[in-house]
Amino acid sequence: MLRADGAGEPTRRAALEVRALTKTFGGVTALDGVSLSVERGECHALVGENGAGKSTLGKVLAGIHRPDRGIVFIDGQMQAFNSPADAARAGVGMVHQEPVFCRDLSVAENLCLGRYPRRLGLFYSRRGARVRAEALLARIGAQLDVGQPMRRLATAQEQLVQIAAAIGTGARVLVFDEPTSSLSETESQRLFALIGSLRGRGVTSIYISHRLPEIFQLADRISVLRDGRLVGTVARAQASEAELVQMMIGRPLAEYFPQHLAAAPGRPLLEVENLSSPGRFSGVSLQVRAGEIVGLAGLVGAGRSEIARAIFGLDRRASGSLRVDGRALRLGSVRRALRSGVGLVPEDRQRQGLVLMMSGRANFSLVILDQLRRLLFLDQRRERRTAEDFFSRLNVKATSIEAPVASLSGGNQQKVVLAKWLACRLKVLIVDEPTRGVDVGAKAAIHALIDELARAGLGILLISSELPELLNLSTRILVLRAGRLAGELPRPAATQENLLRLMAGV
Amino acid sequence: MASNATWRSPYRLQEAGLVLVILLLAALLTFGGGSVTVGGREVNNFLRVDNVVPNVATTMSWIAIMAVGATVAIAGGGIDISVGSVFGLAALGTAAVLQRFDEQASGWLVVPAAAAVALGIGLLCGLLNGAIVVGLRMHPFIVTLGTLSIFRGIALISVRTKSLPSGDHSLPLAFTSRFVSWQLVVERAGATPLLIQPVPMLMMLAWVLAAWVFLSHMVAGRQVYAVGGNEEAARFSGIAINRVKLRMYALSGLSAGLAGLVSTGFYGSANTATGEGYELMVIAAAVVGGASLTGGRGTALGALLGALVIKLIDNGTYILKQVNLGFTTLPVSKEYSKIIIGVAIILAVAIDRFSEYVQSRRLAMGARQKQ
Repeated sequence: MLRADGAGEPTRRAALEVRALTKTFGGVTALDGVSLSVERGECHALVGENGAGKSTLGKVLAGIHRPDRGIVFIDGQMQAFNSPADAARAGVGMVHQEPVFCRDLSVAENLCLGRYPRRLGLFYSRRGARVRAEALLARIGAQLDVGQPMRRLATAQEQLVQIAAAIGTGARVLVFDEPTSSLSETESQRLFALIGSLRGRGVTSIYISHRLPEIFQLADRISVLRDGRLVGTVARAQASEAELVQMMIGRPLAEYFPQHLAAAPGRPLLEVENLSSPGRFSGVSLQVRAGEIVGLAGLVGAGRSEIARAIFGLDRRASGSLRVDGRALRLGSVRRALRSGVGLVPEDRQRQGLVLMMSGRANFSLVILDQLRRLLFLDQRRERRTAEDFFSRLNVKATSIEAPVASLSGGNQQKVVLAKWLACRLKVLIVDEPTRGVDVGAKAAIHALIDELARAGLGILLISSELPELLNLSTRILVLRAGRLAGELPRPAATQENLLRLMAGV
Repeated sequence: MASNATWRSPYRLQEAGLVLVILLLAALLTFGGGSVTVGGREVNNFLRVDNVVPNVATTMSWIAIMAVGATVAIAGGGIDISVGSVFGLAALGTAAVLQRFDEQASGWLVVPAAAAVALGIGLLCGLLNGAIVVGLRMHPFIVTLGTLSIFRGIALISVRTKSLPSGDHSLPLAFTSRFVSWQLVVERAGATPLLIQPVPMLMMLAWVLAAWVFLSHMVAGRQVYAVGGNEEAARFSGIAINRVKLRMYALSGLSAGLAGLVSTGFYGSANTATGEGYELMVIAAAVVGGASLTGGRGTALGALLGALVIKLIDNGTYILKQVNLGFTTLPVSKEYSKIIIGVAIILAVAIDRFSEYVQSRRLAMGARQKQ
């Protein structure tokens, strides 16, 4: 076949190309046949909602995840990465959100990790490492005291080290995973300038973010992912923010009309005043009434889960005043919170919600052990009966209540966590990311359940990164930005655009 | 209930496996041990009542009692390596108090006094361990390594005579030969009478029973598993983590105290070296018995069976003169016991890991088939 553009324009050849990438985790499809081509020196943004698959795609490119199907080409060469080291050898580096270095080694040692400069072939050369580290940093125009331990660096500085390390190993493609999520405005701008100058040197950037403003500032082209599929790729010049949001959401809203809206909210059940926790959030005041689902929106790191933890007594440094059903609740003790009727379905069910090796029954009864107590003994017959009752009401699919929860699917695990809280007499239930990593069927069931609880007169505080979920269920939505309440949207005014705008502060 | 077995099966399986190991060990010792002549009759060296009862079952009592406590600590995600020193301190304390009584003092006076001293010392030591672990948020290994040395040091300083009872004192008979080391004489036709000292074994069985009730039927026991299985989730469930931890170290100390009481009553004396190195045997028994150092697993019955395995190995190195491998024979002496116990610990955990791996594979397969 004759190709007009083939030989004449070598620079036009794709620096990176993926074809039909598919990746599943357990039963969840994270990537579904994604094909994408990125040119050399391009800054290519990957956008999408949480769980859309953008981070997974980045991690496949960086060799962290192995795709189930599909091919990755770097500079036209087919690649099969088994590890990040393979990816690095092929010229792909990644800048992670979270620290990836040995925190107690110096910057120089980290930058020379694995390729230590030696003296006489045997001894570690401190000076050699220093010189090499400074040279690596200089290549990206950064200056740091390379003798200081890694843990002293701020996130922005740590990212510089990550970039320097990647460029140092000859990376021609850099994957940035939400790099600005914990950077200040000036730090972000500095990072953008660096990405710009790398582009000038032919380094290709894959930039993963859900912050549209910075993408418009930075990217040449933008690819939108949704539910693991590529919705489309647009050039920045042709894209509008509204169009991108539309592409990101893409599915009809209001699939489910919550029943709790039929009744007017009752008396205030949770009154939070001036709740602060140093370094996490400050001056947060909110109210949840009986029969109300109050959504709490915000970007990652805005302080949503932190507020939930503080209300639930898990934050010892929190200050402020709290009233539950009109009665003051002193902060700092889970048991006090429990006794006054506050429950929390935590965001990370495997780490915070469940004891994985224990049975469904034993997990279920953890918060109601005191109710099931007969003197010092556990009334196991009643425990079994109650557990079976709740499991069948929530339709938990398990071989039995005695099966270890580790063997259940994500959705059923979450139902066990919910059951655990439903079994105790609650006034306020905080649900943090209730449907993360849950399949569609279980998701609908959990939504219906939360709605039903509100209808039964509980006050619900719903935290979610999934905007449709918030918009769909909430009576009204509070938006957090950088640890402060940025605004409140009543249900009629709550749209994805409004929410995103408030969340990002544009 | 049929479904009841589903959750328990790995545990049951493990205990069944232990029983199998014990039977194999016993078979090995029976056939490898040869025979001895006792009272003019030829009997099996291992499988005879006057070996199995006094040399295995009786002397494993205090190890098993401590292993039960260690299992509680390990199931709760902690560890207590100070038990040997607590044991020694409790044994010495009991002897020190009891030697002040008249040799013929009444049992109604002596036994409660002994119990109060030994259990009191054990409880106190355990609470101290727990308080440091909880209060200073330190790793229990470090804390109990420290107190292991401290408690032993206290024993060395306070007992200058090295051994108690000292001088011309002796312990009241109501505590020793009329209670803990009381002998049951069974007449045997045509042989020397059989002497059995049942009290240590009975106390061991009672303690195992108590621990079983605690771990599987009491609210506090459930909380131990929850904290050991996932401390974060336990905290999110409103369980008072610190109280649970304090309780489990108190129980471990209490077990060591009780073991010290039994040992002092059995031997009628204690010295400053009593219990030295016992932590190895105790933790070995707990781990072989299925307690997982990552927390969340371990049973009282497992601790008992684990202690039996350890004690059989110990006894076996006395019984076996050599092991015939068919092509060659290996000489065995009691010095080998530590090596074999060490191998047993590693083997037990390796097998455990392997069966866990197999099980998780099966779970994953099952999940895949469901979709």
